[in-house]
Amino acid sequence: MNILRLYFKSIGMLLRSHLQYPGSFFMQTLAQLVMEGGEMMVVILIVDRFENLAEWSGSNLYFFFGMMAVSFYLTELFGRGITGDFPGMVRTGRLDTFLVRPRGVLTQVLCGGTDPRRITCIAVGVAALIMGSRLSGIVWTPLKALALVESIAMSCLLILGLFMIEGIFCIYSVKSVELVNAITYGGKSACQYPIDIYPTPLRALFTVVAPFSLTMHVPASWILGKPLYGWPSWTAFVTPLSGVLVFAIMTCLFHLALRHYRSTGS
Amino acid sequence: MRAYLSVFRMRLRMELQYRGAMIGGILCQMFFGLILVALYRALYAGKPQSVPIESVATYVWLQQAFFRMMVASDNELLDKIRSGDISYDLCRPVHMYSFYYARIAAQKLMGSLMRAIPMLIVAFCLPKGWGMTLPASPFGFLACIPALFLGFLCICALENITVAFTMKTLDPRGMQGLLNLLMVTLSGNLLPLTLFPESWQRFITLFPYAQLLDAPIRLYTGVYAPAEALRIYVIQGVWALILIALGLSMWNANRKRMIVQGG
Amino acid sequence: MSYIEVSELKKDFIVHKKRQQGKLLREKDTVHALKGVSFTVERGELVGYIGPNGAGKSTTVKILSGILTPDSGSAQVGGIVPWEARKEHVKHIGVVFGQRSQLWWDVPIIDSYNLLKDIYRIPQGDYESRLKELTEALQLEPLMRTPLRLLSLGQRMRAELCGSLLHRPELLFLDEPTIGLDAVSKLALRDFLKWENREYGTTIMLTTHDMEDISALCSRVMVLGHGQKLFDGKLPDLLERFDTIRKVSVKYDDPAPELHLPEGVTCEQAADTLEITYEPAKLPTAQLLAILQDSGNIRELTLQPENTDHLIAAMYKELDL
Repeated sequence: MNILRLYFKSIGMLLRSHLQYPGSFFMQTLAQLVMEGGEMMVVILIVDRFENLAEWSGSNLYFFFGMMAVSFYLTELFGRGITGDFPGMVRTGRLDTFLVRPRGVLTQVLCGGTDPRRITCIAVGVAALIMGSRLSGIVWTPLKALALVESIAMSCLLILGLFMIEGIFCIYSVKSVELVNAITYGGKSACQYPIDIYPTPLRALFTVVAPFSLTMHVPASWILGKPLYGWPSWTAFVTPLSGVLVFAIMTCLFHLALRHYRSTGS
Repeated sequence: MRAYLSVFRMRLRMELQYRGAMIGGILCQMFFGLILVALYRALYAGKPQSVPIESVATYVWLQQAFFRMMVASDNELLDKIRSGDISYDLCRPVHMYSFYYARIAAQKLMGSLMRAIPMLIVAFCLPKGWGMTLPASPFGFLACIPALFLGFLCICALENITVAFTMKTLDPRGMQGLLNLLMVTLSGNLLPLTLFPESWQRFITLFPYAQLLDAPIRLYTGVYAPAEALRIYVIQGVWALILIALGLSMWNANRKRMIVQGG
Repeated sequence: MSYIEVSELKKDFIVHKKRQQGKLLREKDTVHALKGVSFTVERGELVGYIGPNGAGKSTTVKILSGILTPDSGSAQVGGIVPWEARKEHVKHIGVVFGQRSQLWWDVPIIDSYNLLKDIYRIPQGDYESRLKELTEALQLEPLMRTPLRLLSLGQRMRAELCGSLLHRPELLFLDEPTIGLDAVSKLALRDFLKWENREYGTTIMLTTHDMEDISALCSRVMVLGHGQKLFDGKLPDLLERFDTIRKVSVKYDDPAPELHLPEGVTCEQAADTLEITYEPAKLPTAQLLAILQDSGNIRELTLQPENTDHLIAAMYKELDL
């Protein structure tokens, strides 16, 4: 509990620092809204022109888009410490400050960042979710709601894990920003559509390496009432756990890599 | 003139040094291209459109190949403005707008050519319907080259306007976000402009953002006939002039303000 | 057993060279930052740690504070191996990096302290009394509600010190704490460190380039160069070892005479003044005075002490650093 308290206290403090520059903060929040709104508009235009995507209806696409937007931007809102300048901290040696304190390094990195501007992106995502759910005629049950919450939470962990890759690479002084972006931002772009429209290699990538298909698409398919490739419906609750697995693996790798941390930049 | 040429050359050389970042950038952009083509193929499988899929794939690849040209890339310059070091530059005996125009142009030209050429070669090798196709006609290809050049002039002018904005507000993130969104949406990077509703396309293709890459690509894929080329050039040329004039006046206004404030 | 025990500490870094024209892979280079350093420090000691840039000072401090893992060798601080039990170890230490802040930039410093309280799990009562004491000693009261970014360099260093001492560490690492400070701030900082050391017996390890810091604070000094320990002892002993050259300046009532001095002694003549540089080992000072006594009417005679900075430079040069 102490950790949670620490986290929320840190977040409160960061919020106050953001509000030291209210004008800029407001502008950026607005810019985020327009940006995510633009992404949403593209999906609407696609649905307008093509109506369906394979066996998915346009309304299903909104649902998928909403799930990805909510997961991705929730991660950025609460996990900005990791999705933001984490690699930069490793590269410039700012991680030192965290290493000389009696707390987990990742805990402190997480406590060190929040991006409240993303709130508008999340709002767009929620709107898309509601729209998709209405139009797809989803009949909500407690179990489906649970599946949705689990899916979003696990996707957040997965995204955090993926963002950690670059921090790990940085410890070995490998520059890989753009490659890692391909899997994080690329994953976001690709997996906001149903995964089964992609050719096998891409599907494999997003199942094995960055398992968005397991954390997001399997439960989403179940919520939308689609057949789960003939799998029993409880799999919709089990496959998302791969998100926590990826996060755990990356955490371990990070701690192993820390032994090689060089603390440069001073 | 010498000063502008030498800043242009210096930037070209600087861009050449970042080969590691370039390879990563190419792979990343290729990946995005693949995802988009796969998406459009799946969409086309359900409901083919009047624009053939080969043309959409070509559109996507050209957009990805020249992506680097569109995004604001000169962070060093923006940092300079934020820290106020720009006032040193303002004291140099050169025409500031042209100086930065040359600087931005070099960076965009080299950055995008180094990425575009290998990417386009790979894209040509992909199977039909996935990769690039040859231009609709030799005339289409020839017509596309001046259009690319005019589009390039527009992009550099646009970025110069962003820089001028930054100098005015000092905190560019909000404004930059908005301008970037306009850029990626209205230039056809997120969704090919040829797939926008037809009623929208009539307006959107007149916007400055459509002049950057959309117009040359349409000439290349034959959506615009080579005979239309002259009309396109006029639109592009007019925009290039307007954007440069706008940028110039903003720079001049900034300069006066800075001199009054004493930097 | 001593409080800090370090033996045969080694650490290499692999540096990627800049890629050369026409070569596909970058070449690697190994830099031996530490080549087997050993020393012990007792509780309550105030140790200065000097050496030119790149000598391995920071590497040692970073290993001892649990940031880096050495390649080989052992180290214990109060019976704990820093890199093996990082969290347990850092509870008992405080670290101030001269060029890196541990406080939050945009918020009042008191908010940073409140957060540090939670990070170090300091009980409320202890925290309040300790904070009161530190703010008084460091004269921080009027600044508590000011964001860090608005503080001057000297104020910021005091704020950092307060932050790193809130949890009453037994050991304090200071990495160039006086860099860039004005004279008043430097003196105040040194006084505070002495006070903290005397009052609580806090062990302090200080890396610096400022010899004044060392002579004002440290009873013991260690010199590091090329990843090896070159000297360990009292500052006067160190100075004596390298203090080989003396300067005397002599002013006469009349124009300065010409002197016949032994070889190896330089003498510069300017109007009524002589500047003599000599090595006491070759020409004892008494002998020189005897020569001077008969040289004319001396108005003024000054023995110039060698500046410590020059001494250190001479030492680095002699040790080929």
